[in-house]
Amino acid sequence: MYLVAHVDTSICAETACKLCTQFCPEANTILYDNEKKTAFIATDRCKACEICVSICDNMAKHSAIKMIMITDIENPFELSKSGFRPAEWNSMVRPKLISEKES
Amino acid sequence: MGREKIQINEEFWDIMPDDYKDLVNHSTYGKTDRGWKDVGSSTELIAEHSLCAGCPESIAFRHIMASMPSPEDTVMVGSTGCTSLVFPMVAVHNIHSLFGNQNAVATGLKRALNVRFPNKNKDVIVLAGDGATVDIGLDMTLQSWFRGERFTTICFDNELYANTGGQESGLMQKGFVAKMAPVGKKFEKVRLPEIARESGCAYVAVLTTSKPSLVERVVRQAVLIAREIGPTYLQIYTPCILEIGKQSMEGLQEMRDAEAAGERFKFREFITPEAQAFIDDMAAKKKAEKLASAAN
Ligand SMILES: Cc1ncc(C[n+]2csc(CCOP(=O)(O)OP(=O)(O)O)c2C)c(N)n1
Ligand code: SF4
Ligand code: SF4
Ligand code: SF4
Ligand SMILES: [Mg+2]
Repeated sequence: MYLVAHVDTSICAETACKLCTQFCPEANTILYDNEKKTAFIATDRCKACEICVSICDNMAKHSAIKMIMITDIENPFELSKSGFRPAEWNSMVRPKLISEKES
Repeated sequence: MGREKIQINEEFWDIMPDDYKDLVNHSTYGKTDRGWKDVGSSTELIAEHSLCAGCPESIAFRHIMASMPSPEDTVMVGSTGCTSLVFPMVAVHNIHSLFGNQNAVATGLKRALNVRFPNKNKDVIVLAGDGATVDIGLDMTLQSWFRGERFTTICFDNELYANTGGQESGLMQKGFVAKMAPVGKKFEKVRLPEIARESGCAYVAVLTTSKPSLVERVVRQAVLIAREIGPTYLQIYTPCILEIGKQSMEGLQEMRDAEAAGERFKFREFITPEAQAFIDDMAAKKKAEKLASAAN
């Protein structure tokens, strides 16, 4: 199994700074939902370099991104399956940590 | 070619790959004000490729693809090296040339495009590693500048031959030890930006890819000046994190350190008075347009 980046929407949505999107080395991997005002990750494109984690921790100072084991994410967003369809992002089922389910 | 050229015939929509449909629906072809601001909300002109996790070359690629003024009328010329792993995943016409020949191929291409499309701007952008630009292709690089060929040369300077495991390059720093260059480099880093200036380039810039807005300004300027005035050259530091022993998340800091005051990638640019006048004139026209549209 492997790690991928995961954005905590409730923290990210407070600022909507988009800094991580600018510095991720991979194209269309940190996507941005303008209506929900949050970044989210295309897990099938993430190479787990952790640049976004340090950007969000140190530049944005929000610590909204963590590296998570792929099997611990429910409904991971995959660009190869969903395509780039901004109109659908608002209504999609959000990726979340399996551990968040119980609470 | 314009945006209409990538449209899909209605009959074929159901069999076209999703990636292609996304490019038709959400990319920035044909947008005159395209730029770095579009990245989160558009389909980028580059997709999954096999560069290492965290490689600054892939950040630079994203920044450049977002910044070129008219991708639908651009042809890129690549060469062998890590960059050649990306070109198959780039949604702009491109040619892979034999290692070192990129500026010769671009010369022929640019001239042919001028003959074939006399009334259209067709941009040619060479993008190659330091080994290709400065060592094996130096002859072709310089001769194209001497001849005043109107295209942009971008060198991804990672100061060694990354794709073959870390051999010494002309742009490597003096004293640097790499896996396949254990003795340490005995000569100074070649001063290609200065050589470019003296060889006929109308615009030269040295930078890293740590600031997307700077990359955007410099790339736009280089492409537009190459269209109208003469050859342009950009040297961008894209450290090979693998060969210099950095972690995947350390590339950005490495670039910031290298662009600090007095360091070898401190931002610097050179522009001829003619090219500067052209840029000023363009800025003045844009401002006048803005004022006119605000008044309406
Ligand atoms: C004509 C020819 N000579 C040598 C090679 C072997 N070769 C492949 S990549 C490479 C080095 C590339 O270095 P650089 O241009 O700096 O690009 P980087 O991989 O560092 O981005 C070499 C020597 C080749 N493919 N073709
Ligand atoms: S850097 Fe952090 S806060 Fe800013 S958009 Fe990215 S995840 Fe959200
Ligand atoms: S870990 Fe790296 S590849 Fe994955 S989203 Fe973050 S910056 Fe992008
Ligand atoms: S070998 Fe170096 S330059 Fe090539 S993809 Fe890996 S980190 Fe980037
Ligand atoms: Mg190199």
